[in-house]
Amino acid sequence: MDKTIIHAQKLQLSYKKGEPVIKNSNVSIHKNDFVFITGKSGSGKSTMIRSLYGELPLESGTLRVCGIDLDSISKQKLNVLRKHIGVIFQDYKLIKEWTVEKNVMLPLMIAGYSKNVCTMQAHKLLKHVKLLHKADKYPLELSGGEQQRIAIARALAHNPILILADEPTGNLDEYSSEVIWDLLKGAHHHLGTTVVIVTHKIPSTLGINYKHYFLDGGVINEVS
Amino acid sequence: MKSLKNHLSVIIPLFILLFSFQFVVMLERVVKSYEEKLFSDYSIVAVAISELDKDSLKKKIPLIKTVEILSTKKVINKFKDDFSPANLALLKTSLPKFYSIKLKSPPDEETLKKIVEKLKMIPSITKVETFEKSYTKIYNMLILAKTISNVFTVLIFVISVLLIFKQMEIWTLQHQERMYIMGLFGSPFWMKSAVLYKLVFIDSIISATGVAVVYYFLPKLEKFQESIKSIGLNFETFRLIDDSLVLLAISIFITLFSVTLVIFKQRTEVK
Repeated sequence: MDKTIIHAQKLQLSYKKGEPVIKNSNVSIHKNDFVFITGKSGSGKSTMIRSLYGELPLESGTLRVCGIDLDSISKQKLNVLRKHIGVIFQDYKLIKEWTVEKNVMLPLMIAGYSKNVCTMQAHKLLKHVKLLHKADKYPLELSGGEQQRIAIARALAHNPILILADEPTGNLDEYSSEVIWDLLKGAHHHLGTTVVIVTHKIPSTLGINYKHYFLDGGVINEVS
Repeated sequence: MKSLKNHLSVIIPLFILLFSFQFVVMLERVVKSYEEKLFSDYSIVAVAISELDKDSLKKKIPLIKTVEILSTKKVINKFKDDFSPANLALLKTSLPKFYSIKLKSPPDEETLKKIVEKLKMIPSITKVETFEKSYTKIYNMLILAKTISNVFTVLIFVISVLLIFKQMEIWTLQHQERMYIMGLFGSPFWMKSAVLYKLVFIDSIISATGVAVVYYFLPKLEKFQESIKSIGLNFETFRLIDDSLVLLAISIFITLFSVTLVIFKQRTEVK
């Protein structure tokens, strides 16, 4: 069985034709990998993540995520792919008109689970991120750290194969950042989820084996 | 408060649009009823020196519904005291025959002219009176009123649809972030847009119900009934079930069409 979750070959990404942000890059990420992609500001880290969940079309090369080719992918197939991925953003991207509980339920609702199952799973995850008591609150009533914990609970709700996190601790203080790293490590360790994190700095007290890619001059290089 | 304002921004133009549509329908019924009344009172009078064969007349002019001979009794009775019975009998035989000709449907000017020409071609007919002037004058006035109202309705329709479109754009922008986030987790189009469809569906029902209520109770007002009676009309202003369903269908179609069009227009950004 193919254990490759992400496979990119001669990948080229750009916002403007002929001005590539990522060029001629090869990446291979396997099941249960914990991966960091680092680089300077503006080096194309977020661009890389955006291409992995199909928000940015490829300029050239190939990119295969969870067994699906992203080159000229249809809208329907993209929706299928996204049902296998959990995404975490620096700005959380929670739906502010929805309660915390409903936000966590989102991927399950999309997957077509019944309301009871969605509620049960949401409560389980909210308990896991220690925010069950805030289930009826709205995102804007929570602190940044709490919002990011909700975003992680949402990303884990549908037991995704892959978690993509774009600067998940970028807006958080040291204590909140540690909680977020623990949650991501937990998902990787207990659920076997492949985790790809884009960040400008790898935490020094992580305590797990990880793969490290470094983005320099638009090219992704494997460091370790 | 903001939500109420948002709803009213759709409900009001939709209400005006449906109100003017129903107004046209009602006016159409008034015109038709008046047309029927006018036509039921209308007949062509033909004067003939001898009796006419009604069947051959009907064959010659298929638009003819009935041909009835008008009694000359009244005219003869006027001379009863002054004329001797012998002279009266002579007058009776020498008087021309007057015929009242009723048609199957209201004729336009051109048809009326052709009917007169055909009647005049019959040798025994000496004179034909159509009372065309009084008939066509009122008829043309009704048609003019109908045309003016139709033009206004089209204008109201265009403006209302534009206002509804604008509001749909505002709604779509308000929901864009939510739809984008749902899209990130693989939500299909219908699920992302369900809230918008639900909103317009509710507003469609409210607007159609509002217009139906107004048109149902308006004819029940004493003043309205008096004015209808004064012009001798008898017609159904509002057919509760039929008209309500038509209003609802129009309302739902317009709003669903607008919201779908706006979502598709912005779909690439919402991706």
